[in-house]
Amino acid sequence: MKTLKSLLYILALPVLLILWWILATAGGASFFVPTPADLVKTFIDTWIGERMFTDVLPSIRRLLIGVVGAIILGVLLGLLVGLNRTARAITEPVFEFFRALPPPVLIPVLMLLVGINDGMKVAVIISGAIWPVLLNTIEGVRAIDPVQNETSRSYGISGFARIRYQILPSAMPTIMAGIRQCLSIGLILMVISEMFASSSGLGFAIVQFQRSFAVPEMWSGIVVLGLIGVIMSFIFQWIERRVLRWYNGLKEVENAV
Amino acid sequence: MLSNSNGITGGRTLPEGEALLSVRGLKKVYHTDGGDIEAVRDLTFDLGRGELVCLVGPSGSGKTTLLKCIAGLLSATSGEVLLDGEKVTGPPKKMAVVFQEYGRSLFPWLRVADNVELPLKNAGVPKAERKKLVEDALDAVGLSHVPRSYPWQLSGGMQQRVAIARAVAYQPEVLLMDEPFAAVDAQTRADLEDLIRNVWKKLGVTVLFVTHDIDESIYLGERVIILSSSPTVVQEDIVIDLPAERDQLETRSLPRFTELRHHVYAEIQKAKQGHRPEEAKTTFLTNPK
Repeated sequence: MKTLKSLLYILALPVLLILWWILATAGGASFFVPTPADLVKTFIDTWIGERMFTDVLPSIRRLLIGVVGAIILGVLLGLLVGLNRTARAITEPVFEFFRALPPPVLIPVLMLLVGINDGMKVAVIISGAIWPVLLNTIEGVRAIDPVQNETSRSYGISGFARIRYQILPSAMPTIMAGIRQCLSIGLILMVISEMFASSSGLGFAIVQFQRSFAVPEMWSGIVVLGLIGVIMSFIFQWIERRVLRWYNGLKEVENAV
Repeated sequence: MLSNSNGITGGRTLPEGEALLSVRGLKKVYHTDGGDIEAVRDLTFDLGRGELVCLVGPSGSGKTTLLKCIAGLLSATSGEVLLDGEKVTGPPKKMAVVFQEYGRSLFPWLRVADNVELPLKNAGVPKAERKKLVEDALDAVGLSHVPRSYPWQLSGGMQQRVAIARAVAYQPEVLLMDEPFAAVDAQTRADLEDLIRNVWKKLGVTVLFVTHDIDESIYLGERVIILSSSPTVVQEDIVIDLPAERDQLETRSLPRFTELRHHVYAEIQKAKQGHRPEEAKTTFLTNPK
């Protein structure tokens, strides 16, 4: 009963939207908006087959490398900066400056510096997606409870062990919030990076469809992006629930009091 | 007034080599933007091996500062702390601290048994031995039934038991406790007091217990050190000559308990009014370290 109810919650709005779409396109579709049936057919024709290997998977690969790279670099750098008051004071204004730069403006520069290849695209993703992880890690490390610090010190827990057993877990709720933002920024930058000087990938394919007036194909590409976003978000939530089980439980107890 | 031949002004010291923990001329001044604050002026006392000593003083008398200096968490402005003859410069391996804020001292992401195990794991104790130490410690505090719970799933009193188990499992020679029961309710508190007496007797560990509660200090301690108000010196160091077997009802209704309570209470009141022991004044004047 409970699973049925939650399934209903998940499906209710999508079903309504599709119904509305069917009704709206029933009296002969506009050239720019395909009917749902057309879109499903186009979707299968376009993406299930060769394009899966030439465009979808390479895009996902770049996205994964970029996002994982941004998370690892962001957390490592964040720990380094967050644990050192001087480093924090020095880097804060610089970070604010770089964070304010919209990553797409870096694409031409990165093309020259890195070259026109996958590395450039991954670099674009990292350059934009690292900030929420980096800044949240710094914030999470900075906000560590002094009593926890004294506990670690009095029990001789220092160095790497302290990072592993105290600092990282304690900062994890803040870091996870940063990773959530990092994922959506990563997806946006994946598409944008493929729109410039590219010969494969989802962004490249969608732009190509647009330019050749292949409207249903373009829409089907947008659906692929949406699906990737949804799947990423589900995977993230699944991991977050496990990693932050203690945190969610703690909050529940605190709110109940 | 009090017929206690051991009641001395200033802290009791032991002949060299007999003390496990020595505090010598300890002074701590905090440098703040608003000027210097002298939290502790000049403290000297000794703890013998296996003693259970309570430190009691008016609020703001630098009890926590003193404890943190002893624990090696704060460095003293002058004077020194010696553990087994060795100067304390950082948190020593032979010491464990139980903090007042149990909720913040336990790691909420670790389960009860993992919290107790972490210091041992970090110290490189082999797994089998670790497991036994954790089980024994949880057993000693009456928590062997919840090793898989998270601390925040437990009541305040149980959480402080976990913190005590963590300290006990670490096998310290000196157990420092900073107002550990200040945040738990009165009934739990009585249970925890008895628990500390039991653990102390069973393990033969040396305990320094800081509290602001006069009754608690007398009920628990074999000896009570009364601190003056800030800037802090030792106001008096008295032996608690109550029977070794203590009972919440029996002991607390003994005439001797009442006498001691009166005495300590009067001393704290004096301390609050700014009274300072003569000896401490002169020591400070003639020997301004």
